[in-house]
Amino acid sequence: MTNNVNDSSNNSDFICEPVILVQGGARTIAKAFLEKSALGVRDATLDGYRVLKNGGSCIDAVVKAVQALEDNPYFNAGHGSVINEAGEVEMHALVMRGDTCDMGGCLCVKHVKNPVKAARLILDESDYCLLSAEATLQVARQHGLEERPLEYFITDVSRQKKKNYEDSRSIQKDFDKRGEHDTVGAVALDCLGNLACATSTGGRNVPMVGRVSDSSICGSGGFADNNSVAVSTTGDGEAIMKVNLARMISMYVEQGMSPQQATIKSLNHMKARVGGKGGAISVDGSGRVGVHFTTQNMSWARIGGKFQNETTYSNDCVQFGTDCTNIRTEKI
Amino acid sequence: MITNGNSSSNDPDFICDPVIVVHGGAWKIPSDIHEHSALGVRDAAVTGHRVLKNGGSCIDAVVKAVEALEDNPYFDAGHGSVLNEAGEVEMHALVMRGDTCDMGGCLCIKHVKNPVKAARLILDESHHCLLSGEAALTLARQHGLEERPLEYFITDESRKEMKDYKNYSASIHELFDSQDGHDTVGAVALDCHGNLACATSTGGINAQKVGRISDSPIGGSGGFADNNSIAVSTTGHGESIMKVNLARMISMYVEHGMSPQQATMKSLNHMKARVGGSGGAISVDGSGRVGVHFTTQNMSWARVGGKFQNETTYSNDCVQFGTDCTNFRTEKI
Repeated sequence: MTNNVNDSSNNSDFICEPVILVQGGARTIAKAFLEKSALGVRDATLDGYRVLKNGGSCIDAVVKAVQALEDNPYFNAGHGSVINEAGEVEMHALVMRGDTCDMGGCLCVKHVKNPVKAARLILDESDYCLLSAEATLQVARQHGLEERPLEYFITDVSRQKKKNYEDSRSIQKDFDKRGEHDTVGAVALDCLGNLACATSTGGRNVPMVGRVSDSSICGSGGFADNNSVAVSTTGDGEAIMKVNLARMISMYVEQGMSPQQATIKSLNHMKARVGGKGGAISVDGSGRVGVHFTTQNMSWARIGGKFQNETTYSNDCVQFGTDCTNIRTEKI
Repeated sequence: MITNGNSSSNDPDFICDPVIVVHGGAWKIPSDIHEHSALGVRDAAVTGHRVLKNGGSCIDAVVKAVEALEDNPYFDAGHGSVLNEAGEVEMHALVMRGDTCDMGGCLCIKHVKNPVKAARLILDESHHCLLSGEAALTLARQHGLEERPLEYFITDESRKEMKDYKNYSASIHELFDSQDGHDTVGAVALDCHGNLACATSTGGINAQKVGRISDSPIGGSGGFADNNSIAVSTTGHGESIMKVNLARMISMYVEHGMSPQQATMKSLNHMKARVGGSGGAISVDGSGRVGVHFTTQNMSWARVGGKFQNETTYSNDCVQFGTDCTNFRTEKI
């Protein structure tokens, strides 16, 4: 763990400066949504960072950040989820903690306002890693998670997207179409040196009823192990599952690559091997971060940590953007 | 691809002698069903090999082998699946093909006599990798897969297990931590065209919560196949397998130069050390090298063809099978 002389915590267990990264989906972002996407991930990162700065855990931070994106209608998670073939919304989420490698995943969930909180419950309150829709709803209700009617989750944008899909009747081509929403996710390193990830989605446009997204699946939608890296992925869900994108990235890091190198290599493999595009964010225990995508855009934001060529942490500003070149930096 | 002088096919696309490996679950097999387990996996391997020998695909072979185990009441899949908390059966299965890395998984499926065939349908007939119970059932019905009432799936053995290990935590401790446990079935195959495939099927863990999803239908956990590395099928404590992505770990170690056997041992040891879970795995790579390893007391397994690390020739005219590392038998096919 690298110590920064500007330690922000008086915690006697303090080991390192915290880091948080957030992604709002890898796809081609329509011009009309570029600004909203950029600001959305920026704000979610600030929410998550506030938790870390106060000595909070990486798990609390990633859940907070993803919750903010679920509540934001411009992202395909929670409020704003894509509509499935039956005109309903089925959501999927994952939370994984790197200290124990324990995880909680929920799939095809309805009604729950914040699926990432349901995933957190499965992690904390059950002996299981992955629960089906009804089982998740039961756990969520036992713990009083907020619910919403179908109309809450559906937005004008998701309605339009469904119409576009039905007009074009394509599947793979669809993925790079403008206005396509995707997954959201976050990874964090807290001041105690622990890693965590969270991912949430409404699925691909327009999913078959009962189609399970990669986002709820450990090793595909996300992965966290203190010994290597915390990852959250986004993109062509079937392709991500076929290569186990998150686990690939983590194993390359275990074998000595940086998160950025590991992410680039894994995404290139996914493109070459199964023809799928996507993106991923990651952070390791030393604060090295990875951000890469093979789609036209990916909205992303980070506070703290360092990219390959950087030499110092930058934990007093948030860096965010929707592609590799137009990156903004704002003081927190 | 290694070719054997005794090529068994006149197929002009013939590349190598086929291999099939089958497992019937990593657990402490009670003495009264040892023999049933050993013979069950033997017969399933022979059934799968028959497909391969006639030039059939690795996918057909693994599905056929797993189907045989699903129909066999002594294994926790299909007929003989364990009961969940509600006294019902929820099954999960996966089929993955190594040429395209495409997969089909079904989870929490009921009624379908052979869940591995539902998984195969998802692989072949849908654009998706994983479908939940009702969606998988709908697809199965569209294609006329056989169904059975609940009573078909429940056996005396699964009823007894429910009685003995009434709750889930007790099941985990007794069945896996203490190296006991009823479990998954699976198969991996290399066909004569050099393609790899895997299949895994399970009824899950005794007394599990309704809607608990097993590792078995998840690509990277319950199984994995990529012609560039290996086909794997795993078994054991499902949550542990998911936490480390056991099948994908094994495949990545092979990609980095380990043999299937070395990769399997390293991955299972990691699973034990990192998350405290026990289990087993079978695998085969494109050269016919096989891996069989387990950290539970037993794992019923069988193979036809292929070679372990210290072997120098293929043995594709006999089936090797056993329930542990030492007492295994060889019979001519």
